[in-house]
Amino acid sequence: MDLLNNLIFGFSVALSLQNLAYCFIGVSVGTLIGVLPGIGPLATIAMLLPLTYNVGPVGALIMLAGIYYGAQYGGSTTAILVNLPGETSSVVTCIDGYQMARQGRAGPALAIAAIGSFFAGTVGTLLIALFGPPLADFALKFGAPEYFSLMLMGLVAAAVLAEGDMIRSLTMVGMGLLLGIVGSDVNTGIPRFSFGITELTDGIGFVVVAVGVFAVGEIINNLGDPTERQVFTSAIKSLMPTREDFKASIGPILRGTGIGAFFGVLPGTGPAVASLSSYMLEKRIAADPSRFGHGAIEGVAGPESANNADAQCKFIPMLTLGLPASGVMALMLGALTIHGIQPGPEVMTLRPELFWGLIASMWIGNLMLVVLNLPMVGIWVRILKVPYRFLFPAIMAFSAIGIYSVSNSAFDVYLAALFAVVGFLWVKLGFNPAPMLLGFVLGPMLEEHLRRAMLMSGGDASVFVKRPISLVFIIATVLILLALVVPAIRKRRDSVASS
Amino acid sequence: MRSLLLKAAAILLALSTAAFAQDYPNRPVRLIIPFPPGGSNDVVGRVMATALSEALGKQVVVDNRSGAGGVIGTEVAANSPPDGYTILVISIAHAVNPWLYKLNYDPIKSFVPVGIMASGTNVLVVNPELPVKSVKELIDLAKKEPGKLQYASAGIGSFQHLGGELFKLEAGVDLLHVPFKGGGPSMIDIIGGHTKVMFSSLVQTTPHIKSGKLRALGTGGATRSPVLPDVPTIAEAGVPTYQAINWWGILAPVGTPQPIIDKLHAALTKVQNSPETQKQLSTEGASVMQMSSAEFGKFMQAEMTRWERVVKEGKIKAE
Amino acid sequence: MNADLRNNKDFWAGAMLIATGLAAVLIARDYPFGSAFRMGPGFFPSVLGGVLALFGIVLVARGLRSSEKIVGGWSLRALIVLPLSFVLFGALMDHAGFVPALAVLIFGSAAGGSEFKFGEIALLTLVLTALSVAIFIWGLSLPYPLLVGF
Repeated sequence: MDLLNNLIFGFSVALSLQNLAYCFIGVSVGTLIGVLPGIGPLATIAMLLPLTYNVGPVGALIMLAGIYYGAQYGGSTTAILVNLPGETSSVVTCIDGYQMARQGRAGPALAIAAIGSFFAGTVGTLLIALFGPPLADFALKFGAPEYFSLMLMGLVAAAVLAEGDMIRSLTMVGMGLLLGIVGSDVNTGIPRFSFGITELTDGIGFVVVAVGVFAVGEIINNLGDPTERQVFTSAIKSLMPTREDFKASIGPILRGTGIGAFFGVLPGTGPAVASLSSYMLEKRIAADPSRFGHGAIEGVAGPESANNADAQCKFIPMLTLGLPASGVMALMLGALTIHGIQPGPEVMTLRPELFWGLIASMWIGNLMLVVLNLPMVGIWVRILKVPYRFLFPAIMAFSAIGIYSVSNSAFDVYLAALFAVVGFLWVKLGFNPAPMLLGFVLGPMLEEHLRRAMLMSGGDASVFVKRPISLVFIIATVLILLALVVPAIRKRRDSVASS
Repeated sequence: MRSLLLKAAAILLALSTAAFAQDYPNRPVRLIIPFPPGGSNDVVGRVMATALSEALGKQVVVDNRSGAGGVIGTEVAANSPPDGYTILVISIAHAVNPWLYKLNYDPIKSFVPVGIMASGTNVLVVNPELPVKSVKELIDLAKKEPGKLQYASAGIGSFQHLGGELFKLEAGVDLLHVPFKGGGPSMIDIIGGHTKVMFSSLVQTTPHIKSGKLRALGTGGATRSPVLPDVPTIAEAGVPTYQAINWWGILAPVGTPQPIIDKLHAALTKVQNSPETQKQLSTEGASVMQMSSAEFGKFMQAEMTRWERVVKEGKIKAE
Repeated sequence: MNADLRNNKDFWAGAMLIATGLAAVLIARDYPFGSAFRMGPGFFPSVLGGVLALFGIVLVARGLRSSEKIVGGWSLRALIVLPLSFVLFGALMDHAGFVPALAVLIFGSAAGGSEFKFGEIALLTLVLTALSVAIFIWGLSLPYPLLVGF
């Protein structure tokens, strides 16, 4: 079998002592920057790129890739422990992961995040090896109409987040949409809601909002309510997930992996879309959706698997077509060209040691990460025993450095201070900020693709139903709407009839 | 008496700056790149930063200050102390931004030119599904259906956008501009065949031309690109006045002492002459370009004039 | 009808929404609205602002009928001191360097808590600052001067 031979060849490359070392350095650095908010793989890889000129292309790519997917593991750690998202994608993990930590279940949350990520990483690696080229061709079929219909489906499906106080949840989605509008309009270049401030022309950074609202807002809240905080430190139960935890997590991990792989293949979907989608799905199909937001392990297992599968599959367009799905991937392409390798479909045949070696190293790296992360759980959980009066200034420090480092901008830090106050007020006024992220992430993409699709079709909206892939999403959207609306109508009719 | 004092002061000042320059650099130099990591500005800037560190004997630290098409980082540099410890990487965007944004600095007067680093042309590519094999055929097709043919770009005011608008003006055709958020997404879209035409930067496009995913119709330089010797220039293929070149240079804040500028320029020249730098730049589709500091200043001025016309006649600025 | 609105959760939530929504609509009036098929940059924000304001009215109405109170304690000190120390951090990063910015941030935000002890916090500031310099400046080589001018 060809694949088997290729994989064996790949492992023989990846298992050389030197490449193992590069892989280990990569995933270790990745974990570290993943834990730290703001500082992400993009800046780190840009910084390390010149250092890899003297390393061979295989070693260089193995190390840089390790930084990238290693960061996805690390990102969940501070999200769970102190509500501080280490990476964009791990902000979803804050919702239930942090609540688990408050109930003394930080250990199981961290462990399940690592295990789910490992499973997703394994599947993602296999997908690249088995179906890389056809998946990439599939992704190329997505133009503006397809992306719009997909995002629309996501937003409609998000109505499930809006259980409980419907108006308050929808309001938060709307707030997210509004924040997403800030910045230059893609089609005309007109800066909107930027109040003449140059720093706002590129929009508000995700890290600024997420860290401001979630991490710092939470600290302000805790300081006002010292009693709640004590509950949190007193009871730390077992470190590892129980049998029930595992049972509850298997489904979410499988589904999250699928969702993550799907979005990972599509270059036009940004970070956090995969993990948000997984979270929404788990909440939708849960027997008791009201547990979500109050420490449901499914809300950690699903999104964490999704974001790792997403990260892994983002390599597909890069490796098979030489197309960058993100800034990080553009840097990896740069690393290849610097070594005189033309990225593209030929890489697979001309440089098999690179292609298969990298794939094998990714699986090895994922294994290293899970082995590295599981024992760390005990150490991380001990951080929670640090008295809060020492812990919160440290969170403040790491948050501030992280925000500043994103674009070396003091303005971003000022903005985060504002969002901390806003986030605090939202919570006090009974709003749950989680749905805000959904609007903030999906909104700009929705508007961008809608307006581009309309521009390209000359204002003809039928383009959304004329293109087959788009039509599928539109039909699915209608079905979801019906599934949401029909029961409500029926209930009303019944109640009218009975009265 | 007074003039004597002034003269003495001037001599003292000159002496002290000379001493200062001799000592320079005695701590790390900050190289501001006004774009995020990963783009062409960043790649070219970092290649130079690594080489300059060696040539100057002190580390040249890259500081990415991205935002607003490069305006934010450029403003930071303009407001930095003119002591030679803050320098700035600029690109063609520096000559275009004055016509797109309201600036808090003067693109010429707020800076002293150190030197130009490198340049790279654009390339006119189409998706092979589009039945055109030459620039002439493209123009004919565009003339048959004005405003129907669409070209992708990396965003309003990007190099890709300017190259397209310039083509519209020089070839007298009407194409519909479809902006994306960055070069990567637009490249993916045209390879997917959704948009069909792009005035892309040679750097990121060459692999896809070689693999046949895109068809190159012409390059934007004055002469053919050594990377694609079989592809005519757009000028020789039918639009004689067309020329679109991206370039990267280094500026220092105005007031930076001349001896320091000279030292930086000498280091830059030394770096440019090293085969290793040339090789690294060529893999990025860029090639070394050399001018004296004064020539570079004039070059910037000329570029500003050239793109002012395109921005104004192409109505690139919204409002 | 409930006369005391000072602590009314729905009322204040609604009021905030109405203000936000109206502000959005007002600002968006400066941007071309376009039509449904050729949407201008003002289309999306205007519609959105309107919807938010509408939600606000619903919440205010609900607040006038019910009287759900804002729950939990809150610390005015934390609400002022924490954001303020962020602002100081930003300004000092640009003008004074990494070490002073961080020291002020850590010390300042610690002062926002209720169990502030000077010696303890001074020690914490020292340890955390040293740790951060090691991780961020030496480890990750972020390009920030420790102290401006040096």
